[in-house]
Amino acid sequence: MEKINSLTEKKAGPTVPAIPSVERRMFLRNMGLFSASTLALLTACSRDEIVAPTGTIRSGARDASVLADGTVDLGSGDIGIANLAYTLDQLEVAFYTMAVEKAMGVSAEDKRVLQELHDHEIVHKEFFKAFLGSAAIPMLDFDFSAVNFNERNAVFDAAQKFEDVGVGAFNGTGPLIDNDDVLKIAGKMVSIEARHATLARHMIQPKSYFALGHELIDANGLDWALTPEEVVAKAQPFIKQKISVANLPKM
Amino acid sequence: MNLFNIFSEIEKSDAEATERFQFSRRKLLKTSAIAAVATPALFAATVNKAFADSATVVEVLNFALTLEYLEAEFYEKGNMAPGLIPESDKMVFEKIGMHEKEHVDFLKTALGDQAVAKPAFDFTAGGAFPDPFMNYQVFLTLSQAFEDTGVRAYKGQAPRLKDDKPFLLAALKIHSVEARHAAEVRLIRGQRVWASEMETGGVPAAVYAGENNIYQKEGIDLISLTYKDMYLSNGTNQQATEMIVREAFDEPLTKEQVLAIAGPFIKS
Repeated sequence: MEKINSLTEKKAGPTVPAIPSVERRMFLRNMGLFSASTLALLTACSRDEIVAPTGTIRSGARDASVLADGTVDLGSGDIGIANLAYTLDQLEVAFYTMAVEKAMGVSAEDKRVLQELHDHEIVHKEFFKAFLGSAAIPMLDFDFSAVNFNERNAVFDAAQKFEDVGVGAFNGTGPLIDNDDVLKIAGKMVSIEARHATLARHMIQPKSYFALGHELIDANGLDWALTPEEVVAKAQPFIKQKISVANLPKM
Repeated sequence: MNLFNIFSEIEKSDAEATERFQFSRRKLLKTSAIAAVATPALFAATVNKAFADSATVVEVLNFALTLEYLEAEFYEKGNMAPGLIPESDKMVFEKIGMHEKEHVDFLKTALGDQAVAKPAFDFTAGGAFPDPFMNYQVFLTLSQAFEDTGVRAYKGQAPRLKDDKPFLLAALKIHSVEARHAAEVRLIRGQRVWASEMETGGVPAAVYAGENNIYQKEGIDLISLTYKDMYLSNGTNQQATEMIVREAFDEPLTKEQVLAIAGPFIKS
């Protein structure tokens, strides 16, 4: 599976530039409106329509935006951090959706586990979508061609890697969070990601050091933590749009 | 990163800092070097204001240390009890016991001579669990109870460490390790992996109080938002969707709730 982590992006970029919603993209596809200027205009319009999100996470933070070259910028402050989590939740939902549909050689129990992981990630994803409102990134497009869905263990191995990136992301961004509500929500989700990672690992090698994630835990018994840049480096090979965390808070 | 330089910087900016820190420099270097080196930027960036609210930090860390003492001794006793843990499960409990011991050492080092002493424990909780080190099922039940309580306890305290980023990060890192433990113990027991008020698995109900919560933020109705996707994905009905929404979040416990759970296991 190391090959997955070290994989570089196969495709140069999205064939359709990223824009703020699936509906809008479908509309554009139907209309054949692919010109960059039209997209830029639509994106600009969407910036004017922004209403305050339900959260209290603005405090000067910048919303997500789609740059001229199609790069998805996650925004700044707590908005950026929440969008990073939302990015991973979108990725996980897309992955588990594909796994439930395509994975070969899986038992009924395997499928039930994948479905359960899928369902939780839907909840996390929908939470961030509602929480961020107009500050959210658009729906992203994914490429899981590096995952061998014909091999059951490869599917669970990819699952545990995605879940552990989630654990590392929440741990690493926790101290960067400004708003108490965002910190609390992150805390409520990160332990679920850790439970997911353990379950996915258990499906490969139950009752083992591996199941406990031992290689990620240091000599003080502390779990790993990732910076936003490290998170994106691990997730980017599976995301068609380029993700930028340039405006996220720094340690 | 050179820890000596960082500590000289502290001493320069605040002559009392080293004393207030209550770190033994030698101990810190011995046990914290790996963690510190892994996050040098964080450590260096926040070290000047790390002790702004040290009374709260000391209180939170001592609370955590008490729970870690309990877990560490529980697994030490369990791992030594002849015939208690089947061969197939020994690796897991040896590793978990090792992590808990490491958490104790880490927190004791961080607290220095402000660390609370280890209490005397009664793992029967006054007879409620008569034979935890002779009956494997009782041992497993208590293990799940302690791990899930640990997850919820750290979750409740993390926001109180917000002004002390190095210790907030450390607490979050312990928190997710406890969650890994809880999940594997639950799987060994044949339990579902998610903390649930509806399925306590023989664990005292107080450990899961409040886990039924389905509202994470005012104005966000997660059942309505996810029901359609769930239904399309696997025909899940609304009741099942509610369960999924509940179980997609682990809820925190307050310090008082945790002490009420842990109290019967602490003799003095």
